[in-house]
Amino acid sequence: MGNETKSNGASSLGGGGGGFRAKMEHYVYSGEKKHVLAGIGIFTVIFGIPWYLMNRGSNNHRSHQDYMEKADKARKARLSSSPSPSSDNQIHAVNDPLTQGFPCPYKHNSAMSEPVAQSFGLCLLGFILKGFYEILEAMGMASMNSSGESLKLCVFDLRRGQNEGQELDKILFFYPPDVTFSTQLSVIGLSEGLITFTRLFSPEAACEVIEAERHSHVFHEAEPDIWMVMVVEKNKEIEAIWRVDALQKVLKEVHSLFVMFHGSIRSLLDKEPSGGLIRSHLYPFITDYLNDLSVGKKLQLPSFRETLKERGTVQMLTLARDAALEVQSLVGVLDSCAGTLRCHSVILFHDLLVSTTLSPDDTVDLFTFSVMRLTSNALSSGTSSWSYLRKGTSLSQTSSKSTSPQLLVSSDSLPSGNGHDAGRVIRPLQHNKWIKGKDGFLVTDIWGKDATPTIWLHQRQERVHLLAYQQKCLTLVLLVPTEAIVNGELDISFVKHQVIENATAKILKVEEKLSKGWGGENAYHVSGYRYLLVDNDMEVSRASPSGKVATLAKETLLAVNKLRETVDTEKSRTKEEKDMEICIRAKNNAWAIARVTRGKELYMALEKASDTLLDATDSVQSFSNRYCNGTFSMD
Amino acid sequence: MPSSSQTSVGSGALSHAYIQNPSLRCNVPESRGLFYDDANRLLICVTSSQVFSWETATFNPDVSPSVDSIPEGPILSIRFSLDKKAIAVQRSDCEIQFFHRETKQTLTHKCRAGSESILGFFWSDSPLCDLAVVKTSGMDLFACDSAMNLRLVETKKVNVNWYIYTHESRLVLLASGLQCKTITGFQLSTAGVVRLPKFEMTLATTESNSKPIISPGDVHLITVYGRIYCLQVDMEAMLLHTYRFYRDAVVQQGSLPIYSSKLSVSVVDNLLLVHQIDAKVVIIYDLFVDSRAPVSAPLPLLWRGYQGSDTSSQQENEGTESSTSNENIVMYEEAWTFLVPDLILDQTNKVLWRVHLDLEAISASSSDRSSLLEFLQRRKLEANKAKQLCLGIARTLILERRPATQVTQAIDVLVTAYSYSVKAGIYKELKNEKTTATTPTNDGASPDNERGRASGSSIDEEEVEMNLPSGSADEQQESQLSSPAISPDELYKFVFASVEEAMVEESDYLVAIITEFLRSISAEKLKVDLNIYVMTVRLLAHSKRFAELSLFTTNKIIEPSKEVALQLLESGGQNLRVRKLGLDMLRQLSLHHEYISSLVQDGYYLEALRYAQKRKVTSVRSSLFLEAAFASNDMQHLAAILRVLSELIPGFKETSEYYTFHGLLNETSSSVAV
Repeated sequence: MGNETKSNGASSLGGGGGGFRAKMEHYVYSGEKKHVLAGIGIFTVIFGIPWYLMNRGSNNHRSHQDYMEKADKARKARLSSSPSPSSDNQIHAVNDPLTQGFPCPYKHNSAMSEPVAQSFGLCLLGFILKGFYEILEAMGMASMNSSGESLKLCVFDLRRGQNEGQELDKILFFYPPDVTFSTQLSVIGLSEGLITFTRLFSPEAACEVIEAERHSHVFHEAEPDIWMVMVVEKNKEIEAIWRVDALQKVLKEVHSLFVMFHGSIRSLLDKEPSGGLIRSHLYPFITDYLNDLSVGKKLQLPSFRETLKERGTVQMLTLARDAALEVQSLVGVLDSCAGTLRCHSVILFHDLLVSTTLSPDDTVDLFTFSVMRLTSNALSSGTSSWSYLRKGTSLSQTSSKSTSPQLLVSSDSLPSGNGHDAGRVIRPLQHNKWIKGKDGFLVTDIWGKDATPTIWLHQRQERVHLLAYQQKCLTLVLLVPTEAIVNGELDISFVKHQVIENATAKILKVEEKLSKGWGGENAYHVSGYRYLLVDNDMEVSRASPSGKVATLAKETLLAVNKLRETVDTEKSRTKEEKDMEICIRAKNNAWAIARVTRGKELYMALEKASDTLLDATDSVQSFSNRYCNGTFSMD
Repeated sequence: MPSSSQTSVGSGALSHAYIQNPSLRCNVPESRGLFYDDANRLLICVTSSQVFSWETATFNPDVSPSVDSIPEGPILSIRFSLDKKAIAVQRSDCEIQFFHRETKQTLTHKCRAGSESILGFFWSDSPLCDLAVVKTSGMDLFACDSAMNLRLVETKKVNVNWYIYTHESRLVLLASGLQCKTITGFQLSTAGVVRLPKFEMTLATTESNSKPIISPGDVHLITVYGRIYCLQVDMEAMLLHTYRFYRDAVVQQGSLPIYSSKLSVSVVDNLLLVHQIDAKVVIIYDLFVDSRAPVSAPLPLLWRGYQGSDTSSQQENEGTESSTSNENIVMYEEAWTFLVPDLILDQTNKVLWRVHLDLEAISASSSDRSSLLEFLQRRKLEANKAKQLCLGIARTLILERRPATQVTQAIDVLVTAYSYSVKAGIYKELKNEKTTATTPTNDGASPDNERGRASGSSIDEEEVEMNLPSGSADEQQESQLSSPAISPDELYKFVFASVEEAMVEESDYLVAIITEFLRSISAEKLKVDLNIYVMTVRLLAHSKRFAELSLFTTNKIIEPSKEVALQLLESGGQNLRVRKLGLDMLRQLSLHHEYISSLVQDGYYLEALRYAQKRKVTSVRSSLFLEAAFASNDMQHLAAILRVLSELIPGFKETSEYYTFHGLLNETSSSVAV
C-alpha cells in the first residue's frame, strides 16, 4: 500500500504548485492567483521537504481543466487499486512487531480513499474557491502581500452579521488594526467560506489549516461558532517554517488566557449583544499578548527553531521526596488561608511549576500567565527598563513603550462606558505592571488602585481572587474563592496576613530546600540528547534547555519539525491513543526520532552522523529507561 | 458518697493525684516506730526486740513482713545493708550497731563522745565505701567486709548541722553555717565519690526574722528525668527554690510559689508533686520544660477506694469502702510522712499509701493539646494509658477539625517522641511484648547491669542519668509497655484509618493532615504502613483532586507499591489519567502479571502481549489475549497473537485454546476468502 500511496500522492500533488492543505480533511489545494486546485494528499516525510523545495519556484500556470483531469484519474486509480477500502487513513508508522515482524522506523504514507461524494465535493470546492479568490482579488485581498505585516489575526463570530450589509458585525478582533474594513472582511469572508464548506464533510471539526502558496491560514474554533484565524505569510526566509500545531497553540493560548481573565467570549457577547464590550476587551488583550511575540518591530511566531518546545504545557521542577513533602505541607497551609473555604494555589520556582491544586487546564493557563508576568524572572526583566530580553529564551518581549504606538490601540481610544462595570477595560497582560511589595506580595494597579485581580477557573466554574507572593525565586499564586471575600480589600488583607502569619516559615523552608537542589537553567540537559518530552494527560512537558537546542544544525531542527508535523497529523486522525515510533534520517545524517505511547510523546534529535538506526534506537531506549521510567521502551 | 464514680475522700471529686486502696498495712502490736529504708525501699516497723520489714517496691498489700530479732534498745534510725545481709541500727548519737541477719553477729561502732555526735548513716554502693556515717565533724566513709569489719576509708571534714541523703540520687547534702545555708554535697555513686562545689542557698530575710534557719525538712532532694534537683523552702519569700546539680556546678533554676506554711514533695513518674499541706491541695510540676508553670490547677489529693478508675468496679468499691472508712482517713493530717519518692506513710493508721497520677484527669483539664501530648509522651509509669490517651487526643483533634497547624504540631510531637524513643532504645515493638515483660527495659534490676550503667550515672555536665530504683522496672512490667511512644504504623491504624470513614466528606482536610504526617515521619526518616498511601489515593480520588494525585505519585510522596497501584487502577475508573498512573506504577515495580492483566482489561492486548513476550511472562492466561483479540474482531491480530503465544508458551499448539481459536481463525478467513 505504501508504494501505491506515493504514486497517488505524487499524481495528485504534481499538479499543484505550492500545495494547500486542510489538515483534517486533507484537501489539497494550490492557491495560485488565477487557478485553484483541490486535491488530497500527504507529504511523505522523507520526500516532502526536497520535493517541496524543488517545487517552490515552479509556479507555472496550469489550467483548472488540467487539474480536474488529474484528480479524476487519481481517484479512479485509487478506487481500483485498493482491494479493501477503509474509511479512514492509516499511517503505518506504528511500530508493531506483532503485525510487521520487524520494527519499521520509516513512516509510510497512504492516501485516503474517500467516498466518491467527497470527490464531487472537492470539485465543487475548486469552483467555490476560485470564485472566492476572484472576489477577494477584487476586494484588494491580494494587497495583503504588499502590506508590511506578515501576520494577520482575527476573531469572528459566525452567528453574527448574517444579513447582507451587516458583515462587519462578525468581526470581533482584527490585527493589524489599521487595515481597511474591506481587507478585514475579505480575510474573514474567506475563512468563513472555508469553514462552511469543510463543515459539509466534517461537521464536528471543520478545517484546521489551509496552506496557500504564500500564506498559511490557521483556524481555531475557540468557542462554538467563535473562530480565531491566523494568517501568516510565507516568505522566502527559511525562518518562516513553522508547524501548524504550534501556531494553533498560540491561538489556543491567547484564548484560554483571555477566558481566564474575562470569561468566555460568548458570555461577553451575551452581556452586551452590540459587541462593543467584547471588542474593547479583545483588542488590548490580544495586542498585549502579541507584544510578547515581537522582536524589534516584527512579530516572531514560533518557528521550527522552537520545535523542541511545547506551548500550552507546564514545565515542572523535579522534586526529591522530602522537598515534595515540604511543598505539600506548605500547600496545605495555603489551602486553609481563607478559613473554611479551600483556597487553591500554584507554586513556581524560577519558571518551573512546583505544585498545583488546579486541574491541568487551569494550571496551564495560570502557569503561562505567571511565567509571562509574575515569576522572579518575569519581574526582573522589567526592572531594567531598556533591556527587555528575557534571559534564556529566544522569545523576547519588547517594551510596550516602543511598540505601543505601533501595536497597541491605547485603551483610552477604545470605546468606553459600554456597560463594563468599571467603565474601563482591564489589561491583564500589560507589561511591567507588577511589582513586589514590602510584604512580599506582588502588587499591580492593572485592576485599579488597591484592587485585587480576579480570574476565572475553568474547571470549577468559579471566580477567584489572585494573590501572588514572592520569596526570592519562589512564586506562590494563591487563589481565594470570591465567596470567601465578603468585605473586599479588608478580607484580602486578612488572607494576606494569614499567609504571612502561618506560611512564612514554611515558605522560607521550601525556598531554601529548592534553592539547594536547584540545578540551574541546564538542570534538565541530558548530554548527547536534544529532546522534548510531552505528557498530554497532565499537560506537562520537559525539553532540553533552549541554549542547548540552539546548538543543533538547522537541518536537524527542520527534520524534527517535519517529524512533529507528521505525528500531529497522525494524532489528529485517530481518536484513540496509539503507540507509534518514527525515525528520520535528516540530510545532515542526524536522527530525528519520535515515540508516542499512550498519551506521552518523546521527540529526540541525535546529531551523531556515525550512528546507525540501531544505535539511535538504543540511545532512545536508554534515555527512556533512565529519564522516563521506561515509558518509551518499546523494544 | 460523691457523685463521682470513684469513692473518694477529700474536699472535691476532681483531682489529678490520688491514693488508693488497698494500702500497705504495717500495724504491728507494740510498735515503737516506723522507719523507711529508701535504699532498699523497705518499710520497717520495730518493736522492742523485733524488726518487721515490708517490701514497698512491688507495693503488694498482701505481702507478709520479714521478721528479724535484734537486741532491745533505743532505735534512732534503722537501715538494711544493700545486700540486706546486715541491719544497722543507730542507738544513740555516738553509737551504731550492726547485726548480721544470718550469722547473728553483732558489731558496734562508736564515735568519740563529746567532741562529735552521729547525725546519721547510710549504706552506699560506691566502689570506695559501703557505709557512710555523717557526724557533726564531717562524714566518715567505711568499707565493710563480709565479716562486718568496718575499715575507715576516708574522712570528709566538714562542720555539719544536719544532712539529707537519698539513695536514688546517691547524693548527700551537708548543711553548715549559722543559717544552715552553706551546703556541701557529695555523690557516692558507683563511679566514686564526687565532691560538689559548695553553694549557698537563697533565703529571704524580713525584719521580724533577719536570720532564718533552714531545717532539714525544708530541703528535698528529688530525681526527675535522671536529673537531680534540690528543692528548698524559703518561707519568708513563700518560694520553693529549685537547684539543679551538674557535675561542676549547682545552678538555681527558678522558684515555685508556696501557698502553705507546711509543704512536702513527692515525685511520681518524673513529675514533681508539691503538697501544700495547709491548703490540702497538690500542685503538679513538670520540671522537664523550662516553664515553671504547673501542669494543672491545684486540686486536692483524692482517696480512692479501689484500684482502677472505671465505673464497673463500683460495686467492689463499696465493699472495700466500709473497711477503709473505719480508718478515718484524714487528708494531710499531721502524722503523714512523705517518703521518697512517692509514698505517704500515715503514722496514725499505720498504713502506707502510694501516690498515683490520674492522667485522664490531667489530660481532660489541659487545653494545649501539643504540650499535653508532649507531657503524656514523657510518662513512663502508665505508658499504656498515656499511649491510649495520646491516640484519643490525636483522633479527637482530627475529628473536631482543629486547624491543620494544631494537628500538625500534635503529630510532630508524637512522631518525634517515637523517633527519640527508638533511637534511645526504649521503644520495643508490641510483638516483643513478652520479652519486654521478662527483661524490663530498665536493666538496673540485674546487678551486673547496674554496675555498668551506674558508672555513667554520676553527676554529668549536661544531663545526669540516674539509675531508677529497681522498683520502677516492676511497675513497667505491669503496664507491659515501657514507653507511650506511638509508632507511625499505630498512628495510621488507630488514628487515620479509624477516622477515615467519619472524615470522608472532608477528605481535603484529612489529606492535608496526612501530608503533614508523612512529612513528619520522613523528616525523622521513619517508615509507615503503606496502607496510608492507599488511603491517600482513595481520599484524593474521592475529592476528585486528580492533578494533585498525580503530583503526589510522581513526586513519590505516595510511595509506589502494588497496593497503591491497584488502588490507583480502581480509582482510575473515574479518571483515565489516574488509571495510567497505576499502570505506570505496576510497570515500574515490575509487577508483570498485574500490568499485563490491566493492559488487556483496558483493551491494549497487543501492547500487553508484546510486553509479555519481551519479559517472558507466561503467568497470564493466554485466553485473555485471544478473547480480547477475538472480541475486537481483528483476525490479523488474532493470528498474530496465536503465533506469538505458540512461541512464548511451550506446547501451546497442543492446548484446546489453540485449536479453538485456530479453528475460529480458519473459519473467518476462509469466509473472507469466499
